[in-house]
Order: sequence, then structure tokens, then C-alpha cells
Amino acid sequence: MKHQFKIQNAKCKVVLLLTFALFTLQFALCTDAFAMLTAKANHDHITIDFFYHGSTVSVRGISDPGTDLVIKITSPEGHQLLKKKGKVGGMLWMNVGQLKFENTPNFYEVFSTKRVEDILSTEEMDRNVIGFPALAKHVEITPVANEEEKARWFDEFVKFKEDSKVYTSQSGNITFSKNAEGKQEYYILTEWPYQAQPGDYLVTVYAVKDHKVVEQATSAVNVAQVGMVKSLAGMAKDMPAMYGFLSIGVALSAGFGVSMVFRKGGGSH
Amino acid sequence: MYLYLPVALTSINILIPVGLGLAVGLLSGLFGVGGGFLLTPLLIMFGIPSTVAAATDSNQIVAASTSGTYAHWKVGNVDFKMGLYLLGGGFIGGILGVQAIKLLHAMGNADFVIKITYILMLGIVGVYMFIESLQSMKKNNVEEAKEEKESAVGRFLKALPLQTRFEKSGITHSVFVPIVLGAFVGILAAIMGVGGGFLMVPIMVYMLRMPMHVVVGTSLFQILFTCIEVTFLQAYSNHSVDFILAVLLLLGSTVGAQIGAFFGKKLKAEQLKILLASIVLAVTVKIVFEITLTPSLLLSQVGGH
Repeated sequence: MKHQFKIQNAKCKVVLLLTFALFTLQFALCTDAFAMLTAKANHDHITIDFFYHGSTVSVRGISDPGTDLVIKITSPEGHQLLKKKGKVGGMLWMNVGQLKFENTPNFYEVFSTKRVEDILSTEEMDRNVIGFPALAKHVEITPVANEEEKARWFDEFVKFKEDSKVYTSQSGNITFSKNAEGKQEYYILTEWPYQAQPGDYLVTVYAVKDHKVVEQATSAVNVAQVGMVKSLAGMAKDMPAMYGFLSIGVALSAGFGVSMVFRKGGGSH
Repeated sequence: MYLYLPVALTSINILIPVGLGLAVGLLSGLFGVGGGFLLTPLLIMFGIPSTVAAATDSNQIVAASTSGTYAHWKVGNVDFKMGLYLLGGGFIGGILGVQAIKLLHAMGNADFVIKITYILMLGIVGVYMFIESLQSMKKNNVEEAKEEKESAVGRFLKALPLQTRFEKSGITHSVFVPIVLGAFVGILAAIMGVGGGFLMVPIMVYMLRMPMHVVVGTSLFQILFTCIEVTFLQAYSNHSVDFILAVLLLLGSTVGAQIGAFFGKKLKAEQLKILLASIVLAVTVKIVFEITLTPSLLLSQVGGH
């Protein structure tokens, strides 16, 4: 009886041990699938000096192989006032008033593994403001008569921003590789336009599965003027009278200076 | 090589502003115009925000007109007395013009009035100068035509009180004539948002009957003071003068103005007039195309044309 009990106890131990071993093995094999989404923008502090002509920003991190990715880079939202052109008298294009765009970022870039419309449901796009259709619903435009007019002016707004290189929506340029620990690493290198103004930018990476955002991670990019560029921009804003006198003084001196050079160099007429 | 502009918040190839400055400075030295009606739209085309383009343009005109005025003064082509009367009138006109613009904005059709004024003024001035210069080139016909015109206008002008002699220009006018004409240009310049050189030059030539070479120098002298005032006001109230852009522009324009003044002496007055008329007409045609063809972008920054 005692012997039988011992054998049963040993069996139980073996089962427990095996269960534990299997669980550990499964956990070890599945780490890749349950990898925490991470995001890191390298070159996250862009400095603007006299020779600045744009930069590049790369975003990399760990992601789950079973998910698609959307990377969104935005500036803080605010309002923008723009002049709108319209036809006067049926034939002349003139500025016919102003439009106020509220809840709009100055900078809005979206990069995704596939077209965002194909990997995300409309509700998810709207909830996370991913893609131009979602941004169109998020933005308020005044004054407009109806939704149709709002949609038309939003399209013009995107065209205007794309022309300034500060709005874009692209797919298919995120690359993947395995890192040293065998985890999936994603990477994207984006051109940072010189038209993007100084300020703080937010990089949000969304992991997408079954048309839903399942995970997200963020990083930041800061763009700041430095040195003489910073001093001059600050002086124009904070000491406008002195800045005005300086500008006039330099212009007058340059005008006289060149006259003197020509007078000496030119000889008699 | 690219340079970053701290107020315009954009980067530009330095050859662009230096080259544009040189071209506009050349026109400035040749014709006595500031060139704002050409340079501001060009700067906007190269990605400079419209408010910064207009303000910085006036800053560089200070340099170009200093260089041009000096070059013309050295050869005795600046009528300071006439310039000061025109400046006085221009100052009054500027105040009236700013009020007119406020009224137009309140009525909601400012842009329409500005564009039409632009086209009409440029068109009339361009066509008139072009035809007149062509006729002047055929010398025989001109003598009679000129004399007829002078006597008709002359009778009215001589009837006005406070007649004074302008030695440098060799003419006599009532002090009211340059003041009223200066005010007229000042009103239009304020409405159109330009310095008004391309209006002032024909007025001096055809209405005040000043010799063309004195007109160029005197116009530059007047433009210099107008642009000093505008630069200060733009820097002070709108923070829209880009110092670096202005320096790049004036590197070209000060040299251009000297070259212009040099070639101006080589050209005959009629040749100068017909060249200016052609440029003014080309700008008119450009604006007509601009407002009749569908623009690629229907939205623009607040603050420019």
C-alpha cells in the first residue's frame, strides 16, 4: 500500500515536471510572437544651423511578426488660417476669403507596411487618426456650407501641405530583419524636410492585427534652432525695434560700401 | 550651397537670392524702380512665405536704392527738392491708402480691387510708355506732338499757386503738383502693397516733364526713404524681415544697381523707356494669366498677394 502510494507520488511529480518543462518550452518558443512593441527614433534631436537643409530620421524597434505596422509622425495640433481662391465673375481666380483649419497638425506623416485602408477598419483609423480620411473627419474647417464642401477643402489642404513636403502617406517602405536575440526588428529611414518647423514631434508606432490596433509605442523627435540662427530668430521676435534698425543699418552700409568699391574700381566716367 | 533662413524658416540655395538680387538691382539702377513688383512674386515662387518675401524685399531695396542713388548723385542726376516734395505727398497718400485697404477688407472685396488696380495701372503705364517711346524714336513726328501736349497740360499747371523752380530738373511747377502726384502714387502703392517706383517713373517723365536721367536718380532717392520706413514697420509690427535673406539679396542688388546705373548712361532715354515699358507689360500679361488660368493650389498663406 505504502509502496503503491510512493509510485503514484513519483508519477505525479513526473507529470508536474513535464507540464512545467512543456510550459517553459512553449514560452521560450513563443517569445517572438509576444514581443513587446518598441519604438526608437534615432537622430531624435535635429539642430538647425546656417547650413541646415533638412535631415533624416530613422525609426526602429521590435515588433510581433504576426502584425502589420503603421508609423505616424506628427507635430502638436493647432489651428491654421489660410486664404482660399475662388472664381469671381465666373472667370477670374481671386482670393475670396479665409478658411480656419482646427485640430490640425502642421506636420503629418504616415508610413505603413500595407495601405492603411487595407489593414485597419474605419473605426480604428478614426479612433487613432491614422490616414488622411481619418484626419479629414478629425479636422474642423470653418466656414463651410456642408460636408461636401468640407471634403473638397480638406483635399486642397492636403495638396497644399504635400506641396510644402510636410504631409505624406506612404506604404511599403518599412523593412524587417532578425536581431541578435532572434527577435523581429523593423526599420524605416525617412527624409526629414527642411520645411518642418522647429518644435517637438511625436512618433507613434501601431501594431495592427485583424484590422485593429493591438499595441502601440511612442518616441519623440525634437527640432531646434541653434547658434546664430537661434539668436537672429529670437531677436526678430523679442527685440523687433533693434532688429529693424540693424536690418536697415546693414542695408545702408552695404549700399554705400558697394558704391565706394565701384567708385574706386571704376575710375573716371 | 544652401543657407537656412531664420525668419522665413526655410533653406535656400544662395545662388537664387544673389542672382535674383543682381537682376532686380540692374533694373533698379537702369530705370529707378525698386523692383518689388518683380522680386516679391519670384521669392514666393522659390518657397519664401509671402509676408517674409514682401518685408525682406523692402529691406534689400534700401541697399539697392542707396547704391543706385549714390551712383546717380555722383553724376548729378538726383533732384533732391523734387524728391522731398514727392516723399511728402507719398507719406500722406500712404496713410490714405492704408485706410482705403481697411475699408475694402471690411467690404470683403479687397483682393478683387487690388488685382484689378494692378492690371489697370501696369497695363495703362506699360502701353502708354511703349507707344510714346516708339513715337519718340521717329523723331520728326514727335516734336509736334510733344509741343501740343505740353501746352495743354502746361496751361493748367501754370495756373496753380505757389510756383517754384526745380533747378536740377530744369522745370517750374506749383508745389502742389508733386505733392498731389506723390499722394496719388502713395495711395495706389499702399493698396497694391508695392513701393510704387514703376508708377512714379512715368509720372515724373510724362506729367512733371523731368528729364529721364534725373527721373531715375530722383525716383531711387524717394524709394530709399519709403523702403526704410516700410522695413522698420514690417520688422517692428510683423517680425517678418529675414535678415539673412536680405543680405543675400543685397549682395546681388547693390552690385546690380551700380551696373544698371553705368549702362543707363550709355542708353538713350527712349531706349530706357521702351525697355521699362516692355518689362511692365510682361508683368501685366503674367498677372492676367495668373488670374485666368486655374491655379494648382487653391490655398495659400495669409499675408501675401
